[in-house]
Amino acid sequence: MIDDAGKFVEDSKARIVAARDEKEVEQVRLELFGNNGAITGLIKQIPTLPKEERSERGRLLNGIKQQAEAAIAARLAELRGERLADIVETEAIDITFPGPPLGRGHLHVLTQVRRQIETVLESLGYQVELGPEVETEWYNFEALNLGAGHPAREGWDSFYFTPELLLRAHTSPVQIRAMQRIKEPPIYIITPGRAYRRDPPDATHLPYFSQVEGLAIDKALTVGDMKGTLLYMIQSLYGVERKVRVRPSYFPFTEPSFEFDVTCGICNGMGCKSCRHKGWLEVGGCGMVHPQVLRNGGIDPAEWNGYAWGFGIERMAMLKHDVDDIRLFYESDLRFLEQF
Amino acid sequence: MKLSYEWLGDFVDLADVSPKDAAEVLTRLGIEVESLTLVDLSQIVVGKILEQVKHPKSRNDLWVHQVDIGGGRVQQIIAGAPNAVVGTLVPVALPGTTVPNGRLVKDMNIAGYKASGMLCSADELLLGDDHSGILILDGGTPGDPLTTVIPSQAIMDIEVTSNRPDCMGHLGVARELAAGLDRKLKRDFMPSFTGTANPPGRELVKVTIEDPDLCSRYIGCVIKGVKVGPSPDWLQRRLRACGVRPITNIVDITNYVLLEYAQPLHAFDLAKVEGSEIRVRRAREGEKLLCLDDVERELKAGMLVIANAQQPVAVAGVIGGEDTAVTAGTTDILLEAATFSGPSVRQTARALGLRTEASARFERGLPPELALAGARRAASLIAELAGGSVHREWADVYPRPQEPVRVRLKPWVVDEVLGTHVPLQESEAILISLGFHVKVLGDGEWDVLPPVFRLDVTIPEDLVEEVGRVYGYDRVPPTLPGHRHDRWTPLVPSIDRRLDAAREVMAGAGFTETWNPALVSGRKLEALRIAALAMRVSNALSDDMDTLRTSLVPSLVDAVALNRDRGRNEVRVYEIASAYLARVGEKYSQPEEPLRLAAVASAGNTADSGRAAFYALKSVLTGCLEALSAPDCTYQRGAAELFHPGRCAAVILEGRQLGFLGELHPTVAAALRVEGRLVAFEIDVEPVLAASRTPRAQPLPRFPAIERDLAVVVEEHVAAGSLLTAIKESAGDLLESARAFDEYHGAQVPEGHKSIAFTLTFRSPERTLTDAEVDKVMTEIRLALEKRFQAKFRA
Repeated sequence: MIDDAGKFVEDSKARIVAARDEKEVEQVRLELFGNNGAITGLIKQIPTLPKEERSERGRLLNGIKQQAEAAIAARLAELRGERLADIVETEAIDITFPGPPLGRGHLHVLTQVRRQIETVLESLGYQVELGPEVETEWYNFEALNLGAGHPAREGWDSFYFTPELLLRAHTSPVQIRAMQRIKEPPIYIITPGRAYRRDPPDATHLPYFSQVEGLAIDKALTVGDMKGTLLYMIQSLYGVERKVRVRPSYFPFTEPSFEFDVTCGICNGMGCKSCRHKGWLEVGGCGMVHPQVLRNGGIDPAEWNGYAWGFGIERMAMLKHDVDDIRLFYESDLRFLEQF
Repeated sequence: MKLSYEWLGDFVDLADVSPKDAAEVLTRLGIEVESLTLVDLSQIVVGKILEQVKHPKSRNDLWVHQVDIGGGRVQQIIAGAPNAVVGTLVPVALPGTTVPNGRLVKDMNIAGYKASGMLCSADELLLGDDHSGILILDGGTPGDPLTTVIPSQAIMDIEVTSNRPDCMGHLGVARELAAGLDRKLKRDFMPSFTGTANPPGRELVKVTIEDPDLCSRYIGCVIKGVKVGPSPDWLQRRLRACGVRPITNIVDITNYVLLEYAQPLHAFDLAKVEGSEIRVRRAREGEKLLCLDDVERELKAGMLVIANAQQPVAVAGVIGGEDTAVTAGTTDILLEAATFSGPSVRQTARALGLRTEASARFERGLPPELALAGARRAASLIAELAGGSVHREWADVYPRPQEPVRVRLKPWVVDEVLGTHVPLQESEAILISLGFHVKVLGDGEWDVLPPVFRLDVTIPEDLVEEVGRVYGYDRVPPTLPGHRHDRWTPLVPSIDRRLDAAREVMAGAGFTETWNPALVSGRKLEALRIAALAMRVSNALSDDMDTLRTSLVPSLVDAVALNRDRGRNEVRVYEIASAYLARVGEKYSQPEEPLRLAAVASAGNTADSGRAAFYALKSVLTGCLEALSAPDCTYQRGAAELFHPGRCAAVILEGRQLGFLGELHPTVAAALRVEGRLVAFEIDVEPVLAASRTPRAQPLPRFPAIERDLAVVVEEHVAAGSLLTAIKESAGDLLESARAFDEYHGAQVPEGHKSIAFTLTFRSPERTLTDAEVDKVMTEIRLALEKRFQAKFRA
């Protein structure tokens, strides 16, 4: 009987080795060790044997069992290895086939540029300050030395609701409101927001646009500080190779006043078609805050001075991304918006 | 404004300065040179016509010329104009030369005749727009470069800031250039010419200023016996270079002085000024004037006019009248040089829709002293070029004499403002070169007197600017401000940056951000019935942008329409921007400008697809609010003009209505010409940010949860939200979360009823729950739902 068992186990081992898949191995295992398995049966018989045979018999069967189980485990490992090897061998796909459309939405390019500008200026300690778009004549003009009849008013042709109420022509009123609110310099703010002028739409003008103005009020600020701030901003946005120049100009709310230009990114300031052979691209205006404007904001010009600047976010985006028509920003054509 | 480089050379030595360099200097001084046109005449030679015969074979009118081009050479040249007659001197472009207008001259054969070169017109040389004939030269030697007769030209187009009317003339610009180049200006501002003829001019014309507020000075200079005719070539050439058409010598001289001094002048035919009387007064309602441009204009009361005893003869500072104009037969003239108020001239010019060279200058506010300088310069030129005798002692009514404005400057302030060191002597030299007088006072301060033509300089900062721009801002090193601060404001993230969290959710959900104009069509808002609080601008550019939008949704629907037109069917767009709502009863004060987040998405064509899109968009909105760390908001059935009444939810946060979510009303999509259904939301974001809380970490659960599904059959009108509330109220502490996940109609559900399936999650923080405990709670829940909603339950 023991010999029978031995032979049966030998046969089983041969079947285990020959098994073609895990199922066949399982089949053999059940035949040996299942509830009705051969070895299980022999083990169940042990209690019926004479007492002196039981321990010898137990040891023997246990040895057989261990051998069989080892063979099963070895074969299973072998078969799993084959199966995994087969998976990686046979399942190659065409990786050039595209994935399904993600349907990702896009941030508006002006949001992206505005965010960059805010980040750069926040790194210099400026804070964002907001104000109403429907403004009073006083905040929009009077407080900025642009009273009625001023010859410079022509550049700020505005939309009016009443003679006293208009759509702000620049975000400068926010500067006045900020001075009045903060009262005690130092003041370092930027004023991103929409502004409006009665310019008929064309490739470079819209009656509505977005500005970022900056204002610094502190002790003993200089034109050099203003230049450095603009240079830091431009280099942070466009790259360290860019240069900035300030050109004398005129605004009633700053004295001295400047336009600021940045070197053309295409020719690096050498002059090319895109900068009309000037080497420089006009970006915005700036200057030292006029003492009367400080007074209008409640700041004593004997103690404090400041500089301010302003530019269009659209202009910055056009320079950065080679956009040649400002109207594209507000047309909501996805073919344009999805490029950014 | 166009400037002739040659003309500038009258006042400042530019022999060794190229036009390009001069343009660069001016730009850096603050006179922006927009463009520079170079006309190089050095390659063109002077030729003398020896013979002119009509081309014998050509069908076109052509003339064959034999032209002496110096050195004994004679060229045969064919031209289409007949005016180069024998003996005249003409500009010749030889083969191989490129003419200033860009044309390359080649050897040609025209109908059997050789043509070796080209006779040039003024037009081809860019010396004016006359292309009717060959340019005939005053003098010159055959073979010499044309530049021996006409200097090479350079035309600068400059932009003059509104504070510098003095630079709207060549003299003013030349002064800047002289200062920038550190050279002397060759001309004094005030000419000495006064005229000598008798009797005194003021006895020949009577001038009265009725409104000295609008006319601070009026000079009338009488010149008799002038000979009206064409101006000399050099003068015509300069006018043409500046874009002014030559007319007659008298008119040309007034224009010439305008372009030189920036003082507008006008010449009347004295014989036609009735009563030899000039009254500067306001127009009376209904008065008319036939203007020099042959247009009769009706004048409005209040416009300033120059009148004789009866009627207007000119609109002050804008345009003259035809009836008193100088003509070929004129012999005696009255030359006007006046100072009119800037705002008055601007208003008049605007009202008449007529902006002239004169009005453009007066608008900026001219100094009265300039009137005298301009009058003297013009009178001397008329005497020189048109004959005539200038009567001495001109009529000069000057009710508001120009008061000198002295400015005190602490000269060290220059360094303090610029941030670099400018030696005092250099600052002083700069101011002097610009015409300022500087007196150094005992305490080191400077008492500075600006020149009479610089009304713009009134405060020390103005002087700093003068020094700075000539010294050169490029020489100011860039620095960053940074001294020790004992006070600061901690960084507060901007609203727009805080909203970036919502933008991330929108982008992830496939929505693209748009920026749309805030000015929209008021009529459209009315059609959508959302115009009640709309603010309308009084001077719109067009009626499709005359009103501030009260909602972002129509703009987004327009965006859907536009992209549909361009071939995109599925569109998901959003915007973060303000709406503008007039305060009730206060249409004339500043409106509310709530910042909003709005989204619109296409939603198929069926009721079911619209419903599915509604719930999808609801998830997007909920995601945004979660990303903004806002407390949970609730949705209640809402009603709003733009939304489908059965598919509109009011979004409520902490008891406050933020806005609406829903399918758009079918009439809205139709009115905005969009096919199919659209879903949208629009909420105020400021209350969301205000309610936003920093998320606090919760301990992770230590014990497993038990999940149960519950299918509740209720009448159709019962809302899932009400069931959820009841579930939560009846469940007690062990219910961790409950969520509706399916709505079912059909078999097993009676007519007029629906089945809503919920997933309920139970968990205790203290122990592992048993099924028995959860069964007990489920029973409570069922009882509550039965009682309140007569609910039945499906297995």
